[in-house]
Amino acid sequence: MFGFLFIIILLFCLAIFFIAKRHAINIKKQNGFLHSLPKYYGFYASLWFSIPTLCIVLLYSLFAESFVTSNLVNSLPENIKNLSDNELTLVLNNIKNFAVGNISDSSSFASIQQAADFYNAQYDLIHSVVLYSSLILGLLTFIYAYRSITATYRARNFIENAIYLLFFSSALVAIFVTAGILLSVLFEALRFFEVINFSDFLFGLSWSPQMAIREGQVGSSGLFGAMPLFAGTILISLIALLLAVPIGLLTAIYLSEYADTKVRAITKPILEILSGIPTVVYGFFAVVTVAPFIRHVGSLVGLDIASESALGVGLVMGIMIIPLVSSLSDDVISSVPQSLREGSYGLGATKSETIKKVILPAALPGIIGGILLAASRAIGETMIVVMAAGLSAKLSFNPIDAVTTVTVQIVTLLTGDQEFDSPKTLAAFALGLTLFVFTLFLNFIALKIVRKYREQYE
Amino acid sequence: MKNIDQHNVNQKKEFETVGSISSSKDVVMSVKDCNVFYGENQALKNINLEVGKSEVIALIGPSGCGKSTFLRCLNRLNDTIDSCRVTGEFSLEGEDIYSGDMDVVLLRARVGMVFQKPNPFPKSIYENVAYGPKIHGITSSKRELDELVDLSLDRAGLLEEVKDRIHSPGTSLSGGQQQRLCIARAIAIKPDVILMDEPCSALDPIATEKIEGLINELKENYAIVMVTHSMSQAARVSQRAAYFHLGDLIEVGDTKKIFEDPEHELTKNYIHGRTG
Repeated sequence: MFGFLFIIILLFCLAIFFIAKRHAINIKKQNGFLHSLPKYYGFYASLWFSIPTLCIVLLYSLFAESFVTSNLVNSLPENIKNLSDNELTLVLNNIKNFAVGNISDSSSFASIQQAADFYNAQYDLIHSVVLYSSLILGLLTFIYAYRSITATYRARNFIENAIYLLFFSSALVAIFVTAGILLSVLFEALRFFEVINFSDFLFGLSWSPQMAIREGQVGSSGLFGAMPLFAGTILISLIALLLAVPIGLLTAIYLSEYADTKVRAITKPILEILSGIPTVVYGFFAVVTVAPFIRHVGSLVGLDIASESALGVGLVMGIMIIPLVSSLSDDVISSVPQSLREGSYGLGATKSETIKKVILPAALPGIIGGILLAASRAIGETMIVVMAAGLSAKLSFNPIDAVTTVTVQIVTLLTGDQEFDSPKTLAAFALGLTLFVFTLFLNFIALKIVRKYREQYE
Repeated sequence: MKNIDQHNVNQKKEFETVGSISSSKDVVMSVKDCNVFYGENQALKNINLEVGKSEVIALIGPSGCGKSTFLRCLNRLNDTIDSCRVTGEFSLEGEDIYSGDMDVVLLRARVGMVFQKPNPFPKSIYENVAYGPKIHGITSSKRELDELVDLSLDRAGLLEEVKDRIHSPGTSLSGGQQQRLCIARAIAIKPDVILMDEPCSALDPIATEKIEGLINELKENYAIVMVTHSMSQAARVSQRAAYFHLGDLIEVGDTKKIFEDPEHELTKNYIHGRTG
């Protein structure tokens, strides 16, 4: 239905475009004057045709299903109508499957063929209503537009506004999607907090999400204190930042202040490749190479290091965010005005004195912003930690212990078959919400700092 | 047009003692056969010029004629531009500026520079002035440094205006004040020569007047080389003027002479607003 309708609308739009354009050209011939180029009148008329038409299609896609379904329910025999909600949904699904030809269980009630026919007939009716009404409405609005085309009509300005609206609505989509994600996570998380106390979740010191399925089951206490997860996340992120910030920053300084164009042309793409490596690859780099190496080094000095140690995961994550830190800092350092550098050189300062005393202080807010963005990336990182970090929640700040993170727990809580009403599953949404709020907060501060810095020099 | 220019340029060669100081003033800086290339393009051709003690020499000429490039050769600031190549003999009080032995960093401490657009560092007023003395270790105690900062600000005519807020950011000052801060910053390291690249072009007339007054006072102690686009400014503050045209130094002489009775056709046209 949709494909067919869209092709028809598209053909009509094309035809209308040329009709209106021809009309405009004729007007120009008669009057010797036309406000806009003829093609603008073509677009103008096409828009007037297609927008009401598409609105009807939109209404159809939003409401047709529920409209037909409610009609279908009303047409069903009394005894089926009085079934419970779940059973009724089952019956309706059977009818719908039957209607599109997927033969399924026909024993549920005798007249399923009849119900399916009714369902199909309803849809046929709606389809023809949508087709004719949209085309008629479109043609009416087209006629209105066609008649409004005069030599002085400002079609060009109309199109300008239409394009503005197009861009504006594209921007709105991103905002609505963010709000939608937040709300969907929020509602599930609220269901979790109906069962588990909010402060127990946030400040509780032990995490053991296995719920008892039957009475008296051993080891399934269902404790939801997320503190060990937060601690693990922060520990791993800190290790990552301790590696990435110095290396990334020094790289950025080298690239923007010291490297000549040749070196820069080679080094920058290599760094960008580093940021393009899929995190799952970093994950097995951590598991296969870094973790055993650290364990081996530890055993040489008599330390017993867990093979899922926070140190190994943090180092690999740090490698992952080096390009982020260096490219953000590089941008900021490069945007420090050349006049400041020359001012400092002109006073007899060396390059490193200039960098230390003038460029870095000037770029500091931007660099901090970049580091915060990198931090929120590290906190939200999932694949590396799922592969290489531990699963047991241990409240520890010792980098050679195995710790787990918020993202690891979300993954373990949600993989496999899950009941969506048990606190165990819902806990994942609460963790997700916490993570979302925290990284949102970090990004917000980071952007604020970066923006403030930008204003200073523009 | 190009042919005419070329002809005029050839004519220039007839004048002798181009760029040398006729009076018995001591020479601080001298430049012989200066050529500057940006990649393949030659920006300056065989420039000869001397700068004397206690004088203001104005470099004038249409945009793109190489005045700023020449200025930046004098403290080797062109070294920071990769594609730029400089040849010729430059000396500062007898020392070869471009020799391998010359410490560029110390050279720039001896040849201060003030830029077209005020460029105070994003630090406090005090830190801006103390920046040079600190990196060169000119003062040995905090008190000495404080005194030097005050003295420099005073000589730049800024102390009265900022003494209550010496620790507020240098960028919070007005444009003219910022430029005087940059001058204070430059004189705090006690240079021999101060280079000024259109120091007033970003300023309003009142701030300009203040800077010009300042230049007049400063010339007692420093040699000043100044690029300017304002003929009247060159006439007001400089003792000698040098006219550049498309990479050539056309004419040098006493400012009065250059303005009233230029020897060269190109100079005359420029002074009377018929070129550039």
